Amino acid sequence: MTDQPAIIGLGLTPMSLAPGGHASHLASEAISLALGDAGLTRADVDGLLVNSSQGIRPDRVGVQLARSDGFGDLRLLEHIEIKGATAVAMVQRAVLAIRAGLASTVVCVFADAPIQGSGSSGSGYAQSGGNDGLRGLERASGLLGSVPTYALMANRYLHVTGGSEDDLCAVVMAARQWAQGNPLATVTTPLDADTFFAARMVATPLRVLDCARPVNGGCAVVVSSQRPAGAAHDPVFVTGMSQIHPARHRRSGDESWFGGGAGRALDEALLQARRARTDIDVHQIYDPFSVVTLCLLEDYGLVEPGTAGKVARSGALAPGGDLAVNTGGGQLSGFYLQGMTPLAEGIIQVRRAGGARQVAKASTALVTGLGGRIDHHAVLILDRQAA
Amino acid sequence: MTDWLVSDVLVPNTDGALEPLYEAALRGELAVPFCDSCGTPLELEQVRCDACGSAATTWRVVQPHGTVHSVTTVHRLEPGLIVATVPYHVVDVELASGHRVLMTTSIATDRSPAIGDPANITFRRVAGVAVPALEVSP
Repeated sequence: MTDQPAIIGLGLTPMSLAPGGHASHLASEAISLALGDAGLTRADVDGLLVNSSQGIRPDRVGVQLARSDGFGDLRLLEHIEIKGATAVAMVQRAVLAIRAGLASTVVCVFADAPIQGSGSSGSGYAQSGGNDGLRGLERASGLLGSVPTYALMANRYLHVTGGSEDDLCAVVMAARQWAQGNPLATVTTPLDADTFFAARMVATPLRVLDCARPVNGGCAVVVSSQRPAGAAHDPVFVTGMSQIHPARHRRSGDESWFGGGAGRALDEALLQARRARTDIDVHQIYDPFSVVTLCLLEDYGLVEPGTAGKVARSGALAPGGDLAVNTGGGQLSGFYLQGMTPLAEGIIQVRRAGGARQVAKASTALVTGLGGRIDHHAVLILDRQAA
Repeated sequence: MTDWLVSDVLVPNTDGALEPLYEAALRGELAVPFCDSCGTPLELEQVRCDACGSAATTWRVVQPHGTVHSVTTVHRLEPGLIVATVPYHVVDVELASGHRVLMTTSIATDRSPAIGDPANITFRRVAGVAVPALEVSP
């Protein structure tokens, strides 16, 4: 029990674009895959952390999974909820619990099945939200689903930075290039700028290709101080972690759509890891919309303020570039499994199991989770070596 | 009377935190919340002032003027929710009072407002409930 907590198992179900399936079944499958990868069984697990998609569907995974999915007595069982930052926060929670002696092997799971019946998943998000409070006022004003919301952010961001839709195009094309090396990615057809600009506009300036690809799928990771003999991979260490929830307010004089100094979370995590930004080999950034990648690269201090669009247009984010970002295609061209998308790819890269998309000699990964309207940030530094 | 943009199913519930806004809107006035103690303009659902810590808030009628902080033109016309047949605009208005409020335009228009444009606030009715809207001319 002297070993540091590390990620020793990863399980990813197929990422389906076909309607049907249940989140709880996908969660179960992901857990089995992750435990198999770790060389463990459910009997070895004493902690379970659950991340469900937010309340638009009745079929959500929760703490009942402990009973329904064949676990024994657990010492740690929580349903964690800080929106899109949850998956990363679960790993943080698991590491802290193991360090504190509250558990030794913790499974963290997320699964979702937003594609059901005939309507698009985007439509499913638009139909949910209710009529109460501020959300009710916004919905009565035509702000349905998350695309128009992020479109307001995007236009404000492009206005402030002097950017253009070419910047968004560059992010989407880089993600698509990376996706071509990822067998689990949902969209791998080559993409040129003409095809991008011809894509259907959802809410200006965001086209359908600027938006994440929802899938029915699940992902689980195993965090443990154990080093099972049957593990398929070397452990991936969590050498730094932090959260920041900037208190931005919507009032005159403030940029309330983005910013807020989320780089402070990265500063803290890097301090723990004894690393600098320049030591990060791969950057797995929560990217539900193309513009978010640009906003976060700046807010995390990975590029100079106002330059993310220029950096993207230089090709730096794409395979072979200087700033490897979302190397599995991210949520745009890979799959939208919320915080599990960046987390899984960070693990795969540090394991050097990325196949055609593997970044040579990747040892250190940044993984970020993002919740709300860029309100909640959780970050991890993953490394082949313990800190 | 039917709203030009949304179906009646999107009629907002008026009996929650935003009740003073809806009450004033029925009179054609724009009311927004301020901190009672220090006067800070608060977000519409904010219950405690982030500047001074007071939980005493007052909704006051303010001048219905401001500028466009951001804007999007929504092309997806959500079946069952949107009754308009052409793209519509959603505007984030920064009020002279210091608040920001999201709204659409008072009537359908193919001319998109632009960031920095002056904004005058009027009201539309969704199933009898008055909601703020950016005044645009036909």
